[in-house]
Amino acid sequence: MVELIIDGQKVEVEEGATILEAADKLNIAIPTLCYHENLTPFGACRVCTVEVVVDGVSSLTTACNCPVEQGMEVRTVSERALEARMLAVELLLAKCPGSEAIRSLARDMGIEEPRVELETEGCILCGLCVRTCQELVGVGALRLVDRGLDRDVKETFVEASTDKCIGCGSCAYICPTSFIKLEETGDTRTVWDRVFKLKKCQVCGNYWAPEAQLEYIRKTCNLPSDFFDVCPNCK
Amino acid sequence: MDFKKVVFSSWAGKVVDNRGLEAEVCAPVEELNLPLECDPARVKAFMGWDGFLVVDEKANVVDMAYAYAREVQKLACGECAVGRIGISVIVETLGRLLKGEGREGDIELLQWVGKGMKDNAKCVLGQTAPVPVLDSIEYYREAYLDLIKNKKAISAPAYHVKVTAPCMEACPAHLDIPGYIELIRNQRQDASLELIRQGVCLPGTLGRVCTAPCEEVCKRNDIDGPLAIRALKRHAADWEMEVGQIPPVSIFGEGGEKVSVVGAGPAGLAAGYNLALAGYRVTIFEELSVAGGMAAVGIPAYRLPKAVLDREVDIIRGAGVEIRFNTRVGRDITIADLWKNGYKAIFVAVGAHKGRAMGVEGEDRGYEGFVDGVKFLRDVNLGKRVVPVGRVVVVGGGDVAVDCARSCLRLGFKDVNILYRRSRVEMPAREGEIEGAIEEGVKISYLVAPTGILTEGTGLVGLECVKMELGEPDASGRRSPVPVEGSEFVVNADMVIAAIGQEADLSCLAGEDKVKISRYGTVDADPETCQSSEKGIFSAGDCVTGPAILIEAVAAGNRAARSIDRYLRKGEAVSSAGASRAGQSAALSAQREKESTISRAPQPVGCLPVAGRIPGFPEVEVGLTREAAQEEAKRCLRCYRVMLWQSDE
Repeated sequence: MVELIIDGQKVEVEEGATILEAADKLNIAIPTLCYHENLTPFGACRVCTVEVVVDGVSSLTTACNCPVEQGMEVRTVSERALEARMLAVELLLAKCPGSEAIRSLARDMGIEEPRVELETEGCILCGLCVRTCQELVGVGALRLVDRGLDRDVKETFVEASTDKCIGCGSCAYICPTSFIKLEETGDTRTVWDRVFKLKKCQVCGNYWAPEAQLEYIRKTCNLPSDFFDVCPNCK
Repeated sequence: MDFKKVVFSSWAGKVVDNRGLEAEVCAPVEELNLPLECDPARVKAFMGWDGFLVVDEKANVVDMAYAYAREVQKLACGECAVGRIGISVIVETLGRLLKGEGREGDIELLQWVGKGMKDNAKCVLGQTAPVPVLDSIEYYREAYLDLIKNKKAISAPAYHVKVTAPCMEACPAHLDIPGYIELIRNQRQDASLELIRQGVCLPGTLGRVCTAPCEEVCKRNDIDGPLAIRALKRHAADWEMEVGQIPPVSIFGEGGEKVSVVGAGPAGLAAGYNLALAGYRVTIFEELSVAGGMAAVGIPAYRLPKAVLDREVDIIRGAGVEIRFNTRVGRDITIADLWKNGYKAIFVAVGAHKGRAMGVEGEDRGYEGFVDGVKFLRDVNLGKRVVPVGRVVVVGGGDVAVDCARSCLRLGFKDVNILYRRSRVEMPAREGEIEGAIEEGVKISYLVAPTGILTEGTGLVGLECVKMELGEPDASGRRSPVPVEGSEFVVNADMVIAAIGQEADLSCLAGEDKVKISRYGTVDADPETCQSSEKGIFSAGDCVTGPAILIEAVAAGNRAARSIDRYLRKGEAVSSAGASRAGQSAALSAQREKESTISRAPQPVGCLPVAGRIPGFPEVEVGLTREAAQEEAKRCLRCYRVMLWQSDE
């Protein structure tokens, strides 16, 4: 176990726990955006920034991906932490003013209008969709395309590999800005500009899930070929 | 540095302000320790990750800060909101100011964003990006105010740009290490490998046996241990092997001429590959029946499985490089023949494959049981049967000695010993290799040197040795061993392997009197252009430098290819005067005091348990899993350093 101090309160957590998890134990809320408890932390949005003092040296870090250390002192509402957090939110608001998730964070912090004007975008690059597809669905059809190889890429973006995508829609579900669109009409579902055929239940006749997704689950779990002929409601 | 006068410098947080002063009273500029890649006598202004320098009063620091920010933006990974959006704000605001559209409050806006990035961007690139902007606002505020007030558009001069990083600078091939690591982090192994191949044509080989000078300078050494850069390279290469993907080859040049290469070692392969990509018709003449040089016949299979190297050689041949095996230049074909056959340039890269003599009485008489280390490894690698004997003694302390000893164990030798004339601290072999040898049962005796060999009939029975003690440091800085008087003793041995160094065999150049040979018995060639003293003959790698590491040979082959291309297109290899300054980034690791970075332990690189290694030659090191590689890649601090300067060059 590791003992640390958060906002003046002592707390003991297991080794390897993050600052965010330790704060949660004390019911201290730290705002987050790109964090999800079931996914590997990413540290991309910088919204959960806190001030940390180790051996008398103060620094800023994101709480979601920073492991605790014995004797660490964390300040979640110091002026320095709040300033850094507000800067992150204000920059995100300038880039993605249409996102309700960001507008709500901004409201909580008392930011009305960003002081800068930028070319705006719908995707905030939180990476939740990429991580969900990789870690929870296990498909890994999404990835961030950045400037690592091709420095001509103007902006980083999320790319879907159409031959891997199973149309499950988890990415659209997790997306905090509704940037990822999922539409269903009749027997088809469209996501990432790809059309998926939906499976019809042999009992109720409802179209209930993409065939590609059911096939993926069936194969992964080694289920009989007729397993998904009937929807869960009629089973 | 021979600046006439520095007007201003904020480099590394040290402010030198000579504005309005006469040259005589200026602070000495040597102390600035600038990582200048340019001619200091001609530089007008310089900007980098740790501040800026003005030599010519007319230089516009605001425009320079703008150009600098735009270069940083090209490298920004776009992952963290503060770095990505922050740099956009800086670029847009500075761009507006310079167009004469500045507004009240722009300076404060730049400072707000700049300070925020410096404090809380995720990577070092993001944290250092605003440094020159903040410094220029602090010390050249009037230039900013003037732009806002007078709303005049500024015309921009051309700047020279260089992007590097401590690891990239340490790498002889200057690989874009943060770049390829970032791609692994994003699970784009294919793109990562494409980036790696732009610098080295043997990624899987180097991913296993490179001595990784990059890791020695990794900034995480100061925090929690270096990134496993070599293992990450191996991961990308292994991924390609696993999925069975053959990388696409794109020939970009239109060379056309025939070029011959002597020796299919790392330098020859690298030069051949790059020349083939540039459109030249390349033929490599190789004495042995295999390609790879020392990588093929010097490194044992437990460190580098043959399949890995063979596959990489196949990819190089797939790019159009022809390899003529079992053809020794100087014996089967001569340099003169090559000219006659229409080759327009010759690259000599024969390596250093000849074992050096121990310098003891009788070693040259061919006693049974007395072999030289490189020959021993070559025989083992080429599949020649070696019958284990009772007791083998390896003389030497380098990688070849350790490779010989560990190979002996794998061949079934039971009693394997190393004699080294200095102590463990001075032993030049890699630490991990020495540890591996000891783990596996090799016995190492330190401070022992052979003085003679003991024989019975035509066979060898042992070595006469003397104990040594360490005296004063020699030219290499290591304490030199001195014999202890009266300490002579006998070491029994059924076989002795002398592994005390290698030298080049330059018999391929017999009769080529115009090619100068140095007094060390190596080809005298320019380190940068690889040009020898004979027009059209180039040389690089171990046969020029003496035995060196693999990555240096690959980097030398790359340089040779560029130089040969220039020679064939323009008739001469450019002199090294301009180029030799590259890589002189003296203070590259220096950076203004930064607060602590939270520690995060490196992913361990696994090894086969000792019991599973012997007999036979299974690979000892186990690669990183995909998950471990991704975790390890996340530790990269992305210490990209952007340098930008204006000069009258």
